Amino acid sequence: MKRLIVLIMSFLLIGVMVIPAFSMTEEEKWTQFRNKGIVLHFLTEDTPAAGAILKLLPEFEKRTGIKVEVTRTNVSDLVTKLMLELGAGSSEIDIIYNARWQILPAFSDVLVDVRKFQNDPTLPHLPLDDFFKAHLIATSFFVDKERQVAIPHDASTMIWFYRKDIFDKYRDKFMAEKGYDWTPGPNITWDQYYEIAKWINENVPEVKYGAGHMAKQWNSLYCDFSNVFWSFGARGFENPETESYGAIFPGRCMWDSPEAIEAAKFYKKLITEVAHPASIGWDWASLAEAFAKGDEIAMCFEWHDYMMMFGDPSRSKVVGKVAAALMPKGKDGRSHVYYSGAGLSINSYIPEIRQKAAWLFLVWQASIPVQKEIFKMGSTPVRKSTYEDPEVKQWIKEGRYPGAKIAPVMLEAWKEENLEYVEAKIPQFVETLIIQYTHLAYMLQGKETPEEAMKNIVKEVNEATGYTKLIKQKK
Amino acid sequence: MRKRVNTEFWMILPALVVLAAITVFPFIYTVRLSFMHYPMIQIRSPEFAGLENWIRMFQDPKVRFYWWVTLKYVVGALSCEMILGILIALLLNKIRALEDFFTTLTISPMFFAPVLVGLLGRFLLHDSYGVYAYFLHQVGLFKGGSIFGQGTSALLALIGLDIWEWTPLVIIIVLAGLKALPSEPFEAASIDGATGWNKLWYLTLPMLKPVIFVALIIRTMDVMRYFAKIFITTRGGPADATKIVSIAVYDQAFQAYRMGYAATLTLSMLVVTIILGILFVRFFFGQGE
Repeated sequence: MKRLIVLIMSFLLIGVMVIPAFSMTEEEKWTQFRNKGIVLHFLTEDTPAAGAILKLLPEFEKRTGIKVEVTRTNVSDLVTKLMLELGAGSSEIDIIYNARWQILPAFSDVLVDVRKFQNDPTLPHLPLDDFFKAHLIATSFFVDKERQVAIPHDASTMIWFYRKDIFDKYRDKFMAEKGYDWTPGPNITWDQYYEIAKWINENVPEVKYGAGHMAKQWNSLYCDFSNVFWSFGARGFENPETESYGAIFPGRCMWDSPEAIEAAKFYKKLITEVAHPASIGWDWASLAEAFAKGDEIAMCFEWHDYMMMFGDPSRSKVVGKVAAALMPKGKDGRSHVYYSGAGLSINSYIPEIRQKAAWLFLVWQASIPVQKEIFKMGSTPVRKSTYEDPEVKQWIKEGRYPGAKIAPVMLEAWKEENLEYVEAKIPQFVETLIIQYTHLAYMLQGKETPEEAMKNIVKEVNEATGYTKLIKQKK
Repeated sequence: MRKRVNTEFWMILPALVVLAAITVFPFIYTVRLSFMHYPMIQIRSPEFAGLENWIRMFQDPKVRFYWWVTLKYVVGALSCEMILGILIALLLNKIRALEDFFTTLTISPMFFAPVLVGLLGRFLLHDSYGVYAYFLHQVGLFKGGSIFGQGTSALLALIGLDIWEWTPLVIIIVLAGLKALPSEPFEAASIDGATGWNKLWYLTLPMLKPVIFVALIIRTMDVMRYFAKIFITTRGGPADATKIVSIAVYDQAFQAYRMGYAATLTLSMLVVTIILGILFVRFFFGQGE
């Protein structure tokens, strides 16, 4: 009898605890933290997605009663700040812009596994299959495929911007001389790209040079070179996981492969012989400024978010003259697109209630109204269903907003067969990045040959990743 | 007497504690860090490294190169700032009309934040729309190139920015020294028939020695840890041509997450600065003074 009473009481207790959760209305899930005085701190890179959030944030605050303080900064400062905060175990920042190549591999252990919120009946959920699979893998996991520490937030992708007016005007003349259609896209090879750039240098008075590049000794040089590197069939590391879920030990650095050396030779020729000479001093912002100026260059490879700038009359003289395309064709016959998206994560050092409040924010910022706002800010959203929205379809058809104009190119670029996770997902990535762009800069300045640069990169990267030490220990 | 000493001690103690907290503790912590591998990423934990960081620093040819760049930068910037600063201060000291106006105008650049000067430099020397770049292009310089894209011109541009911003500090220090000089020696020299040049060489400059020393030591300490403008403009490139040691420290600490090695480099900067200070003292005041 006693046992029966205990059993009944237990069921009652469980019922009392669980039933309210299931009986919560959708609105109650969103308003449960009202009057709790929660203020969340969101640290993010200054991106169009962050701009969309800021614009619509009052709606979230009004609905949930949660206040969100947003700090926007450039990516270098963001990483430094996060590194210091997370490294010190601080709960200062609640919601983290999780740069997939810097923060995710280095600090995934201190980020909340968001699946617990997805399984929590008291909280709203996100349809994860509505994100592009490639984005989800890249931004949200590190090594452990069962532990999701972020949700996709933005998807900076390298595409080929060109001056449509110039390419239209000189198409026939170029074709008559060279025998092929020069319209940028995945049908153009890298050799043809070189030829087009050179031809514009010699034949098009509207611009000083055909092509500009972001070859400043910085992250931008790595990105710019990677466009060529991957297209030539080179790979970063022995361990293929570095290009998807990530790896603690990447294996041997492969930058001295024949493909890598060939890519380096081509890149050097491209930058030193035909590209705008100022390219060696340009990062991605300077390159975009030069393109937007109108009379400097006719084409460049840039992050797709810069469409916002090119379409803004106050910052650009090429409004309405810009078109975008996929990158040139690689040696394997396909376009290799450099993807560098980021996710949003929750700091595990903050209390549970704040984590839940942060989750509400994450779900809200991925909602369709916010995603649609990203178009207006000049970029493209990361949820697939946004592109099925009738209004969005109309925007894309009309090319109403800068983001909508390039949406078809982005949808093509984000296909798994086109994307490259160029930034190796390893904890030592930033260290290897510095090594790589430093030697590439030496190569461009003629201080090292392409072979020497690649050889030195391999030597130093292997030391940084611990591969050299591992091999010595094995011996 | 004993009671008085105790009172003084207790009065000074709070200041000593604050001083220890903000200077001594970080210094000791930095020294400790230099003997450790202290990566801030999750897969590695801090561990004692012994002299490994120090050995690595002395063996690393890149560090030697960064010091070479630092030397070029320090010598270039300091020599120009000191010479220009003294000359302009002497000139301002002679001006009688609108003295305050000209002095204010001359020293105004140093009130700009270094980050702003970096941004200004980047803007003015930008290859596409920079005003200075435009004029340089007009006289045939850097027409097909980039000022910040070539090693020598990038370093010269950065030295130029530093001179523009910090010569005023030398001016204001030297000018203050000039105003405080006694007039009697100059009057006596005039009676003895000394020329302006004689008075400058044998009276003004020797009497300004302590002031010039102060200006030099302040600028040396500052220029050694120069960071913001390089970070904003070249980030140490192209091909490390502008990578002075402080930029390397940043790269090691906040890019490569090697706090231990970064601390070692930082301490080497401190040691070099102290050595330079000692050399300046000996040069200006002779040994034993």
